[in-house]
Amino acid sequence: MIDEKLFYTKDHEWAKIDGDIATIGITDHAQEMLGEITFVELPAVGTEFEAQGELAVVESSKAASDVYSPIAGKVVEVNSDLEATPEAINNDCYGQGWICKIQVSDENSTEKLMDASQYENMLKEI
Amino acid sequence: MLILENFLLICREIQKLATGDVRGEFVFEPSASAAVGSVLHGEHLKLIEKSRLADFAGYLMPLWYSSISAEHAAVRQAAGVFDCTHMGILEVSGPDAVCFLNSVTTNEIGNLTAGRAQYSYILDAAGNILDDIIVYARDEENFMVVVNAANELKIKAYFSVLQSGDALVDIDRPDRKLDCIPVIRDMRDTSSGSDARVDIAVQGPASVEVLFALITEEKIRWQIKDLKPFHFIEADIAGAHCIVSTTGYTGAKVGFELFVHPDIAAKLWNMLLEKGRPFGLQPCGLGARDSLRIEAGLPLYGHELAGEYKISPIEAGYGWAVKMEKQFFIGKSALLQKSKVSDMNVVRVELPGEKGVRPARANDAIVDAQGICIGWVLSCAKAGEKQIALGLVKKGSLAQKDSAGLYYLARSSSQIKQGKKESVQKAEAVKPDITGIAVSRFEKF
Repeated sequence: MIDEKLFYTKDHEWAKIDGDIATIGITDHAQEMLGEITFVELPAVGTEFEAQGELAVVESSKAASDVYSPIAGKVVEVNSDLEATPEAINNDCYGQGWICKIQVSDENSTEKLMDASQYENMLKEI
Repeated sequence: MLILENFLLICREIQKLATGDVRGEFVFEPSASAAVGSVLHGEHLKLIEKSRLADFAGYLMPLWYSSISAEHAAVRQAAGVFDCTHMGILEVSGPDAVCFLNSVTTNEIGNLTAGRAQYSYILDAAGNILDDIIVYARDEENFMVVVNAANELKIKAYFSVLQSGDALVDIDRPDRKLDCIPVIRDMRDTSSGSDARVDIAVQGPASVEVLFALITEEKIRWQIKDLKPFHFIEADIAGAHCIVSTTGYTGAKVGFELFVHPDIAAKLWNMLLEKGRPFGLQPCGLGARDSLRIEAGLPLYGHELAGEYKISPIEAGYGWAVKMEKQFFIGKSALLQKSKVSDMNVVRVELPGEKGVRPARANDAIVDAQGICIGWVLSCAKAGEKQIALGLVKKGSLAQKDSAGLYYLARSSSQIKQGKKESVQKAEAVKPDITGIAVSRFEKF
């Protein structure tokens, strides 16, 4: 399942851009690979990240996966619902399973990201 | 003689110089193949998307239907129904059945009368567990042996080499051969015709009501009500012959395994779902099966038995299923030697598990009240607001009600950079991240 309006990374993160705020999560492919997600380590609000910086950790019963920031910026909000219901990422990875929101520092940062069809093509090769 | 296809069989005698003798090890390498649907595949697809099925022992199985925690709660408070049709079922029969089973399993077959079942182990001559099993005595020359799905091909291969005389059965007497030749049938295979059976489990306090919703005959109801644990009857349920046993893998005080012909498994599954719903019955996947068995302290092959630490039945807390007074069984001598030097055993620990607490995982370190690592987690699962961990620790280091700490190993590269260790040795000093308490080795619900 690929959401057309989002941007993607090769590490299976998605970013939804709204003005200078990017909402970040992991894709359906990633949540399926991980299996039942049991814990999410969220970044602290206010922390700044470079693109590909280690933003969060998503743990499942079989694996743990670093979530890398698709873009550079500062964390302005985190999805604290994931504390009680980490499985929201499994059930609705593009909606209720959002991980955090970042205030983007570089306007052109989405240039380096894949669009939906590029991500879909990448998945076909896996 | 069994016909075996698509596997690479290795049975070798290995001399290991430094760490002792591992002659008599049975090693089996199955070839890789795509996962297949279970007998209830079509029924699962009525409840969930195909993408939600995961490969388990070569079968596409649901991890959960609604959620692991909801299904876990259903089994504890009402009832759950489990697709166990992937589990291997072998019929061992004939005049040599008892002799064969007593030679290849650790428990005493002579203790079984018709209608009784027993938990047991199949070992190789080196004393390693090849599988944990339940043996059901249907009559004095007919036994049903239920094996783990993941070990089915291995056990079939093992039985085959035992009969052909190609396996070492006694490290003290390398020339020893088994001279019992039972008749062995795969009961899930079409070659067993109308005798074929597959396993569906119903577990939880409302299990009897659920079964009674399918059974109107008073006589059968009474028989079921009267069943003691590890006993079974053979009766007609909803028009089909069924073996109903008081066995299970959830730690429920009340629960059954139903063995029916594969052709009617789907019908029985749907009847259970339909008639069980008023009693709170829910379909339960592998996730809940795992969290329930962990909560109860029950072992999983590869984790609390055999596996990385080569855990023996005695270390796992099942010495009673190993009858050393038997004159001979494969692996007896090696197991006796191992138990003399073993200094570890399996414990059950209750840890905090409310929201926000990081789940413990296998290999996380278990720490005593002095801050010393005494062992490691083997399995852990959330059970309500707690986490229950099964761990392998130094014998005597953790008594019931002792405080038990847990140190999380590094989960990510960022944690490693922050100084979290990737492994902890026994006797190493570490500061635990969370602290809980050692509880009874087993618990029933």
